[in-house]
Amino acid sequence: MHRVLTTCCFCACGCNLYLEVDDGKLVGVIPSREHPVSRGNLCIKGWNSFEFVLHKDRLRFPLIRKNGRLEKAQWSEALDLTAAKLTQIKDKYGPDALGILSSAKCTNEENYLLMKFARAVLKTNNVDHCARLCHSSSVIGLNHAFGSGAMTNSITELAGAELILVTGSNTTEQHPQIARFIFDALERGAKLIVIDPRRIQLSRFAHVYLQPRLGTDVIWLKGMMKIIFEEKLYDDSFIRMRTENFDAFSKDLENFDLEYVEKVCGIPLEGLRRAARLYASVKRAMIIYSMGITQHISGTDNVESIANLAMLTGHVEQEFTGVGPLRGQNNVQGACDMGALPGTLSGYQDVADNDVRKKFKNLWKTELPASPGLTSIEMFDGKRIHGMFIMGENPAMSHPDINKIRAVLKEMEFLVVSDIFLTETAEYADVVLPAASFAEKDGTFTSTERRIQRVRMAIPPVGSSRPDWQIVCELSKRMNYPMEYDSPAEIMEEIALLTPIYGGVFYNRLEDEWGLFWPCPDKEHPGTPFLHKGSFARGKGHFECIDYRPPAELPDSEYPFYLTTGRMYQHWLTGSMSMRIITLVREMPEGIVEINPADAKSLGVESGEPVRVISRRGTVKVKAHITDDVPKKSVFMPFHFKETPANILTSTAFDPRAKIPEFKVCAVRIEKVQ
Amino acid sequence: MEDRLILSKEHLKSFLRKISKRHELIAPVKNSSGDTLLEAIPSLDEVTLDLKSKPVMPAKNFFLPRSEVLFKYQRKGKQYSFDEVLDDTPRILFGLRSCDLWGILFLDMIFQENFKDRYYLNRRINTVLINIGCNEPMENCFCRSTKSGPFLTHGYDLQLTDLGDKFFVEIGRPRGRELVEEWNYFFSPATKKDREHQYEMILEAESRFHQIVDMNTAISRFMNDEIDERIWDELGNRCQNCGGCAYVCPTCYCFNIVDMPLSENAGERKRIHDSCTFTGFTRLAGGYNPRHEKKRRIRRRFYHKLYYENKKHRRPSCVGCGRCVEICFGRVDMINFIKMVCERGERSLRESSLRLGEILIEAGLLNREELKNALERQASTGESLGTQLIKEGLITREGVARALGYQLKIPENAGTGGSDGK
Repeated sequence: MHRVLTTCCFCACGCNLYLEVDDGKLVGVIPSREHPVSRGNLCIKGWNSFEFVLHKDRLRFPLIRKNGRLEKAQWSEALDLTAAKLTQIKDKYGPDALGILSSAKCTNEENYLLMKFARAVLKTNNVDHCARLCHSSSVIGLNHAFGSGAMTNSITELAGAELILVTGSNTTEQHPQIARFIFDALERGAKLIVIDPRRIQLSRFAHVYLQPRLGTDVIWLKGMMKIIFEEKLYDDSFIRMRTENFDAFSKDLENFDLEYVEKVCGIPLEGLRRAARLYASVKRAMIIYSMGITQHISGTDNVESIANLAMLTGHVEQEFTGVGPLRGQNNVQGACDMGALPGTLSGYQDVADNDVRKKFKNLWKTELPASPGLTSIEMFDGKRIHGMFIMGENPAMSHPDINKIRAVLKEMEFLVVSDIFLTETAEYADVVLPAASFAEKDGTFTSTERRIQRVRMAIPPVGSSRPDWQIVCELSKRMNYPMEYDSPAEIMEEIALLTPIYGGVFYNRLEDEWGLFWPCPDKEHPGTPFLHKGSFARGKGHFECIDYRPPAELPDSEYPFYLTTGRMYQHWLTGSMSMRIITLVREMPEGIVEINPADAKSLGVESGEPVRVISRRGTVKVKAHITDDVPKKSVFMPFHFKETPANILTSTAFDPRAKIPEFKVCAVRIEKVQ
Repeated sequence: MEDRLILSKEHLKSFLRKISKRHELIAPVKNSSGDTLLEAIPSLDEVTLDLKSKPVMPAKNFFLPRSEVLFKYQRKGKQYSFDEVLDDTPRILFGLRSCDLWGILFLDMIFQENFKDRYYLNRRINTVLINIGCNEPMENCFCRSTKSGPFLTHGYDLQLTDLGDKFFVEIGRPRGRELVEEWNYFFSPATKKDREHQYEMILEAESRFHQIVDMNTAISRFMNDEIDERIWDELGNRCQNCGGCAYVCPTCYCFNIVDMPLSENAGERKRIHDSCTFTGFTRLAGGYNPRHEKKRRIRRRFYHKLYYENKKHRRPSCVGCGRCVEICFGRVDMINFIKMVCERGERSLRESSLRLGEILIEAGLLNREELKNALERQASTGESLGTQLIKEGLITREGVARALGYQLKIPENAGTGGSDGK
């Protein structure tokens, strides 16, 4: 038996673990004790992460659709066909009829290559990935306010904060290792504020817990700032020296009426006052947020409000002090960094900027398209895209209103999917390419704290599957743009050349000290655990005046309940991996809808009984789970389960700036199944 | 051959090289990332042995692996064939911590008391165990409190003590003696001075613990049913259900058995480590879960470790390795638990006595004066009020039972057994 140190494939905490290999098979997992985040433990998913890798359902050979059925094929046949079809569509409709979905599950090197493939080979900027669905509003909002869209501090710094404000993040379930640092901070006497419509586990430890109505975050955030402003608890010198637009912003605050807090959010003003005073009165405060903030039509507004709050009190630019958007997936930070986004090349370099394109052109030796491409949501409008390459994503489960998405996938002229399992999306494909899992390839992941870490091959690819970077190289070669790389390390050398924030990232530097924090501009640079030291990345922090906009779909007499969606601790996104891990399936075998006891009583529903959840877009029959963790007239559903997919119900309304769908609010009706 | 010998440090690798010829040698290795793991050692010259710190995972995994194939099956037509997988690789586990070795002794008992587990025992009988006493306990070690370290008096094949430039070697079980006799030229007899030196090391090590927990008081609180119930609520709130405490525990032996199909006609039956803190651990086929709430599962875990095992095997199944202390997300660990129990037990004893007193007065079995006197006496005996009153003959066992039953609305003919054995 031997062990291979690698980075966990589930959430973005970035735990390092040893895969135990015996006779070519994965037989166990050992957490690293020295790693600053894992600290000798993993969550239930990490502890069981070895199990899905050799599952019998793994795709072991390519598939091609023949006479309506997916049939076994040779690699050469599948790749030739894919290259020919993509070329054909490009010639027929133009390059912008093609869409590429890259993957937050794949490595940095793979994301970089796929976005290069889109731009240099297909000549389109239509490349995106699931960050669109989770933190696109953070990338835009924080970039606008601070000049960088990532977590401002490292995870371990949480333990040294005096106060932590958690909002829209069920941290103990979705980022258990980060919650562990919150517990550490509590042990040291830190204060905790939790503001979340669901009564999450952390709320039981909160010094202030507030339960606002769904989709009213702009109001309570503004309320908190108004209180801080009125009571003169703001950091005057910080505002003067480090920020801009405060005059307009303070006038906007003056005009805001605190009555709205109780009226719109349904929380007591006194509670908010306590939270505001606590937050403003300490020196080192961190805000932790996640999808409860971002997945709204006002997602960017929410994020900018959080940035405003941090700047108002001077709670940025220091150690233990800042704003932490917790990224959901192992490499969603990296996929964004690598430019798997329609508007930016790697390192958030604007694709519309001539100088930037020129730099890439010089190295890639080809012209690049200038106008920003379509987002992952826009690609599924059924009009503009005729051919798609989807790498390791599952929009047939993960997107809002999936009935509509599935209809579009079905009508797509040509769809190629590379994945490790035959996902719901792959079932619609014309060509399915078997990809290697995280345990079967080398590369890097970038965790939520911007820590770039190694992924190491523990076993050879299962069956005839191949790492995605090799698949992209093979396709590219067939489309007359040879990409020749011997290893992911060689790809990283190219990334470093073109990407200032990764400029000093080389594989030999990632062996020690548990990776590097970007920005790391050159070989001598030690990396940057916390951002904006001394000044914001954009120069001065920008205060934005924000007006409240209610969610796109609110309950009415026909659909009287709020539906909010999210994840459960035991499962992972669309379930393709976690539903193939025995311990996880046993913990949570099927989907549920959480209903408040009062509502359950008036509906006449007992816990465990099936109900129909009906929205304007569809119906899901699912078991009721009765709990007062959800407020009255609100229900919660996880979206992991293919038998009870919550995304049949969700709304396609999206944030106009970030194009993030409003997964967190829509209106439904609940019916008891007779 | 004498039972106490000296192995000079410069001979250690030579000795290990010799004994690894016919055995797979497993020893603690510090890797380039600083983690210490028990590793199979193909070449002694390529690794850094770490005989000072505790490996991340206990030695348990070499006998009860994290996941193991019990047998493979194949179907041809209607015929099934089975192929059992038994591991009889001869192994030497060298440089074990005493707590980990003690953990294996505990598992030995479990895996042969009712049913002889071939998979476990096959590995076990082919393994030689060599531990090294801990001169310097680590931050969260508390084996002194569990009487499973830092040095052992028995149970090992060989036990080493680091005396600076040499190892003091004690021979325990016959397999240890065989090894030493076969390679006797590496060893010399220990002098009286060496023995004294070793004894000093033991005494010093025992004085160096950072953690001292009152295991006995904790166990007696269980025995007397004096655990403050609110502790379970608190721990239940903090537990994040990772299962880590069971995975890293040297004595947790629960496993799940699953069939893993490999294709249409073939598959494997595997067993994988399980944890009693998981919801699925106790959920019944019909969906009902007697320990649906997290706090019930945690309660069960600590009851099992400190009470049931103690009742059955006269020792708790905690070996004081401190791993759960190091890794718990929410401080639902053994040290924190025992501290909570010990600190709150006093108050809870007083509270529960007062409550029982009131019930007995209400039932007319006791008057206020008698209660007051009994409580005073109880302060010196430390017994529960009920036990004391019965011993003193003031009331009968049946009287207490009936009064409690009335108060708690328990029918008189109800069974007394509960799922937690209360």
